[in-house]
Amino acid sequence: MKCVIERNGVKVFGKAIHALARIGDELWLDPVMKGLAMRSVNSAHSAYACFLFSPLFFQHYSPDTGPAQDCGTVKCKLVMKSVLPLFRCLATIERNVDSCQISINLPDNRVIFQFHCRHGITKTHNMGFQESEALQAVFPSHLCPNVLKAQPRLLGDMVMHFPVSQEEITLSMSPLRVNLKSYYEDESDQMKAMHTEMSLEPSEFDYFQVGVDSDITFCLKELRGLLSFAESHGLPVSAHFGAAGKPVAFSVEDMVLEASVVLATLVNPESRTPSQATEAQAPAALRCGGVAEPTEGPCEADAGPPQAQEFPSAGELIASSQGSPVFSGTALMREFTRTGEDSDRLRTPRYTHRGRGITTPPSSKVRSLLFGAVSCEQGDGCTSMLPSLVCSSDTEDGGEERASGAL
Amino acid sequence: MPLSTQSQTEGDNYVLVASLDNVRNLSNILKAITFKDHAIFNATPNGLKVTVEDSKCLQANAFIQAEIFQEFTIREDSVGFQVNLTVLLDCLTIFGGSTVPGVATALRMCYNGYGYPLTLFLEEGGVVTVCKINTQEPEEPIDFEFCSTNVTNKVILQSESLKEAFSELDMTSEVLQITMSPSQPYFRLSTFGNSGNAHYDYPKDSDMMELFQCTKTQTNRYKMSLLKPSTKALALSCKVSVRTDSRGFLSLQYLVRNDDGQICFVEYYCCPDEEVEEE
Repeated sequence: MKCVIERNGVKVFGKAIHALARIGDELWLDPVMKGLAMRSVNSAHSAYACFLFSPLFFQHYSPDTGPAQDCGTVKCKLVMKSVLPLFRCLATIERNVDSCQISINLPDNRVIFQFHCRHGITKTHNMGFQESEALQAVFPSHLCPNVLKAQPRLLGDMVMHFPVSQEEITLSMSPLRVNLKSYYEDESDQMKAMHTEMSLEPSEFDYFQVGVDSDITFCLKELRGLLSFAESHGLPVSAHFGAAGKPVAFSVEDMVLEASVVLATLVNPESRTPSQATEAQAPAALRCGGVAEPTEGPCEADAGPPQAQEFPSAGELIASSQGSPVFSGTALMREFTRTGEDSDRLRTPRYTHRGRGITTPPSSKVRSLLFGAVSCEQGDGCTSMLPSLVCSSDTEDGGEERASGAL
Repeated sequence: MPLSTQSQTEGDNYVLVASLDNVRNLSNILKAITFKDHAIFNATPNGLKVTVEDSKCLQANAFIQAEIFQEFTIREDSVGFQVNLTVLLDCLTIFGGSTVPGVATALRMCYNGYGYPLTLFLEEGGVVTVCKINTQEPEEPIDFEFCSTNVTNKVILQSESLKEAFSELDMTSEVLQITMSPSQPYFRLSTFGNSGNAHYDYPKDSDMMELFQCTKTQTNRYKMSLLKPSTKALALSCKVSVRTDSRGFLSLQYLVRNDDGQICFVEYYCCPDEEVEEE
């Protein structure tokens, strides 16, 4: 693969890397005909991000995808700590860099970043990459009952009110309003901390579609990278989600790039008992499966015709160069409706306050729907009925019913 | 000046008296070579030379010419002593490091000779501080035998272009490799770190390149830990000359302008880490 990014694009590319760095410690590079995909996932597999730059973004782009195997189809995994310093100071890049060339050298297992700077100075960075299975999360955002689209300024202003240390927030949506509030799981934290809550009317959004009233709690920190990217680029941000427990996808797109961040959400304990939560899942899922149009709630914003798919589900399905199988929506829905024992108590370190270990208080659970990862450390013999949404590309079976996370 | 009355009480035994209206003209330069505790001071009628060494492989010198001082009186041909540089800098900056426009700290530095402490009188806004720092027997600075006749390659660069490179250097690399050549890549800095290699190339016709005199291709490696302190001198400077001799020894000379626009020099000498075959 070889591509060249001209001056203004280098800063955008760098900002994308910054956003991806907020998510995980590793960066997957996947050059395909459709463009260059950069992906990252966090260690708990509860957050995933993907930036896809179309060939138009580049001054020159050749993915070098020839016939079938090995000719240049690369699955390239880099250490984020090695890549981020190259783009750390965006102001300097803007000032100094004329162009950036990225090439993948297969025989040597190296990715080469070459910056052509002012005054004829050239900076070349060769870094080794790991061959890896392609990373891909599949999330049928077009099937989500709830959709919000907002200008980046609006979202930026909203999250600005939450302290930088705020881990999680809860977004509540009803036909009348959208609520954002800080979330604290610990009783003691609830007493000590400052709570922030704000409320917005549907009319503040560019697009407002409520299929099911829901409260979703997700990690704000991981989202900030994308919001910052959207703001610097002036791109509106879309959010697709459903009931609590299902992932939420935030996405942006323009002519030459698409980006999305998919986050797992907490099953909200406050409004229902765990067993009820399970059942509540099913109806929501059924509704989700059945929804082709937003029939559930009145849509108060001046949205256009009530189509579920107002815009393409950005970035959700990117066939990896490996050609790994992509989920069909119906197969996925079958899994969702099969409620099963909700014994999947995957408590990820991210959602646990430091030092508390991975014990799960009965009142809250994290459903890592993205990757169906089941931690067998939990030891209670839980079997996941959840599909793995990320499959390693060398599996044959379409990834159904995998008991362990593919990654 | 209040300081001149002070000195009379101590007698007129000074072998060296140096005064500055703005102590920063000395302290800033000394900060650029403070990577070890001890410094060798050598004063001659030409001015002051301060030397710091590390592991017999690295030597840094700061030169402050007599003309920089408002008063520079020396009663011998050469006056030498050794002091703790960290302590000296703490004293020189005793009124704080921040600059308020129009307010400067004045310095009068006095030395009575062998066995006597170095006495500093510092004054700001009418407040006077007197510091006496113990001196030691000066060691003989290493002579790296770096002479201009032996220089094979020399470039002079504007510091601005190097500052960025040095601040980005991959610190997981044990060595900094410098390649100088009459042909491509002309002048190259390379690191070999955990994540991979990095190369910074400066072409000979770059407008940052003020002088380019390379006679043969040479590649030498220097321990990163030894060269990293030179970044401070680089940060202060406006130009830097990089020279290597036939043995691969490196000389970095930095042209520093002080607060008053006067020129001082800082130079670093470094031994090569290992011999790399010349192409």
